[in-house]
Amino acid sequence: MIALNSLRLRLLAGAVIWILLALAAAGTLLSALFRAHVERRLEAELTIQLEQIAAALERRGTGELILTHQLSDPRFRKPYSGFYWQVDGAEGPILRSRSLWDVSLRVPAEASADGGVHRHRIAGPDRKRLIALERTVTLPDAPGAYRVVAATDEAELTAAAAAFTRTLALSLGVLALALFGAVAIQVRVGLRPLHRLRAGVAAIRTGRIKRLEGRFPTETQPLVEDLNALLQRNEEIVARGRIQAGNLAHGLKTPLSILANEVDRLADDGAPRPAASMRGQIATMRQQIDYHLARARAAASLDVPGARVLVAPSVAAIQRTLARLYADRDLQFAIEIPADHVFHGEQQDLEEMLGNLMDNACKWARHQVAATSRRDNDRLTITIEDDGPGLPAEQQAFALAPGARFDENVPGTGLGLAIVRDLASLYSGSIALGSSRLGGLRAELTLPAG
Amino acid sequence: MRILIVEDDPVLSRQLAGTLSRAGDAVDCAGDGEQGHFLGDTEPYDAVVLDLGLPRLDGITVLKRWRAAGRTMPVLILTARGSWAEKVRGIDAGADDYLAKPFQMEELLARLRALIRRAHGHATTELTCDGVTLDTRSGKVTVNGSPVDLSAHEYRVLGYLMHHKGQLVSRSELIEHIYAQDFDRDSNTIEVFVARLRRKLGVSVIRTVRGLGYRLEEPS
Repeated sequence: MIALNSLRLRLLAGAVIWILLALAAAGTLLSALFRAHVERRLEAELTIQLEQIAAALERRGTGELILTHQLSDPRFRKPYSGFYWQVDGAEGPILRSRSLWDVSLRVPAEASADGGVHRHRIAGPDRKRLIALERTVTLPDAPGAYRVVAATDEAELTAAAAAFTRTLALSLGVLALALFGAVAIQVRVGLRPLHRLRAGVAAIRTGRIKRLEGRFPTETQPLVEDLNALLQRNEEIVARGRIQAGNLAHGLKTPLSILANEVDRLADDGAPRPAASMRGQIATMRQQIDYHLARARAAASLDVPGARVLVAPSVAAIQRTLARLYADRDLQFAIEIPADHVFHGEQQDLEEMLGNLMDNACKWARHQVAATSRRDNDRLTITIEDDGPGLPAEQQAFALAPGARFDENVPGTGLGLAIVRDLASLYSGSIALGSSRLGGLRAELTLPAG
Repeated sequence: MRILIVEDDPVLSRQLAGTLSRAGDAVDCAGDGEQGHFLGDTEPYDAVVLDLGLPRLDGITVLKRWRAAGRTMPVLILTARGSWAEKVRGIDAGADDYLAKPFQMEELLARLRALIRRAHGHATTELTCDGVTLDTRSGKVTVNGSPVDLSAHEYRVLGYLMHHKGQLVSRSELIEHIYAQDFDRDSNTIEVFVARLRRKLGVSVIRTVRGLGYRLEEPS
């Protein structure tokens, strides 16, 4: 189905119109030329007959007019054959061909009896139209001039022309079809770069590629280059926006720290009520900043299609960091990540998710934190467990909501799990909480495998 | 304890210095990476609070240079950049702790105390020596349960000696750890502080090693 407003329809419709017009004009012209040609041939034949009759005319001594010899063409003897001749005297027809039988031809009076051949259209037997050639012949000793007429049925001409026109129409029809086919192929081939362009743009939209690649025809190459330039500019604007958002968020953190410290002083100076309220607001601001920063970071990562990172080194880096941060806690890490497990995404995001989950586990663990991973086809499931108190089933869903926090004494904003959930869902992954065989919380992070 | 703060925001730097001074520490402040690096490289600090986004020289580079030069004082990174990738980078560069802004002053103090204790191999928050107890979290000193009121300098001398219990501490080492850099130092004041401490504590835990310095030890 071709849409009404399509390039292909335009090109095809244009081609159909000009092909039809050109072939119709050619057909009409050829047909007319052929008819004129056949007519000339007929007239040339008639002229010869006319000359033969004129040459055979003789006036006997009795005054009787005779043809000294018959015309060779048998059609002049067959009645109503369509080929006729007649000789008129001053008082009317004197001699006529046998084919005329009982009819005589009425030739209009000639204006000038100059001896030249004149052409007429006259009515013949059965009221058929005849092409008639006529000349005036003067015989020696004859009192007046005679008019010799040779005529043939116009149907001869019409039939020949019609037969030719039929053949012509058929040939032109076949030619038209061939041309349509050729135009359709031409349009298809000609528009192919546009299809490539469209497929390329679609691939860019789904994030499979970043730029249109390869050479395009000269006419579309500028479009491709402009599009690539536009994409780049777009990326720069988005990147700049993200950097600015990041700078804004980070820039807010120091003033927020200062404010928090001033609020502490306020509380010490004997204004605990306003201080408590301000502390709440500062905490909200901090949560908002952290949450949106994490999201902006994640969105930026999704712009890099095809990023892949090994899981084991990232887990090791987080473990190293946590071992240092919790150096005064006697924590044992049991890490079992196969060396060939690959996450299909950005390292930064993987570390953010692992960091939050493993940090959580460290906060609650008594002695043990475990990390394992399992691969099922294109899914990777990383499990983080601890031997802490765990979380009742009804609180596990609530734990994933932003800002959820169960123990105000364990430091953290409570956003960790919500950030993990958001990051995972950006990669069409998920996080599930459950109870660990170690006795504490089990967090299962499911992500696309590379 | 003598602490270096490397932070480019002057207001936050002042707040940190004020809080730490009130908690009994001698504090130096650096407003950019180069100055911070120089101070940390030349002065003996017991702990450093290091911002990462610094003018002239970024915090990670400062930290790496200190570690490469064998400077082992505990460093707490205090930064607005709080992602895990950045935490990993900071810890890998040699930091001992990482605190993201905005932070709570109490948490910073607690972590700094923990870092200093850990650096000297102490597992608990309370340091004791023959009835004298110093709570590193609250900054309170008690002798056999009764609180003792100490001046800032006396507290610093006692704190340093308690952290280095059993070790010989020279007078110049004490001076370096109880005075901020721009303070007018006078080695004679150390003797005054030690004499006052001995009087206030009432127990003889501080021994004078003639010509060398002092040592805090349980009487045998």
